[in-house]
Amino acid sequence: MERLDPENNESRALFDMVNFSGQHVLEVGCGDGRVTWFYADLAAHVTAIDPVASQITLAKEHLPGRLKDRLEFQHSAFEDFAVASPPSVYDIVLLSDSLC
Amino acid sequence: MVHALEEVHRLLKSTGVMIDMHPVAESLPMEIQQGGKIDPVGRLSVIQWINDYQQADIALTEIKQRGIFVVERESVFDAPTYYDSVEEMSTHLKQSIDKFARDAEWAAKDISQEEALAARAAKLRQAAGSGAEVVLHERIHISRLRPT
Repeated sequence: MERLDPENNESRALFDMVNFSGQHVLEVGCGDGRVTWFYADLAAHVTAIDPVASQITLAKEHLPGRLKDRLEFQHSAFEDFAVASPPSVYDIVLLSDSLC
Repeated sequence: MVHALEEVHRLLKSTGVMIDMHPVAESLPMEIQQGGKIDPVGRLSVIQWINDYQQADIALTEIKQRGIFVVERESVFDAPTYYDSVEEMSTHLKQSIDKFARDAEWAAKDISQEEALAARAAKLRQAAGSGAEVVLHERIHISRLRPT
């Protein structure tokens, strides 16, 4: 089984960039939640979206019970999500490969 | 792309921040690692993704120029993936291309280059002995931007 970034360079770089504690976070392009799990325990609330349904299904399958009240995975393209969202909601918007 | 970033700006509180992470648009160094010994194999083309990575760079440049966001911090880090075998790496790469590459023509074009590199990696891995791993290094650009 491949091991992605076992040295945790990605989570270190992320935590060096921003403090997630008590923040309302929108993650765009969350995939199967690989990056979401780094910070979800710290945030006040996380909305994580991805346009690929199978990835969101995987993320939901691994969602631990302790996070169910404050972490929601949504199958949605960002454009659709944004149109339906009110302004000035989030402290952090995290784009994981989603500008690509 | 820039419209999407304008939407991000709208969704953020005035005190909020946007964090972007995306791969650097360059080929990936491949190596064989056995203990502390490293044998370079070559560089794997990311031709399937290069346009996407460049579009991300262009979008960030444009929003900075337009003054929608200011960059507070940015850096680049290494995100290596370790494989137990060349076959495992090849399977993983093919799955990624099948899942995410938007341009089927590019996906098909790059197979021979990948196969040649995989053959070289297999030879070096065999020479390195049991327990040797195949490592692909991807560099990721991360930036923290504040809405203006």
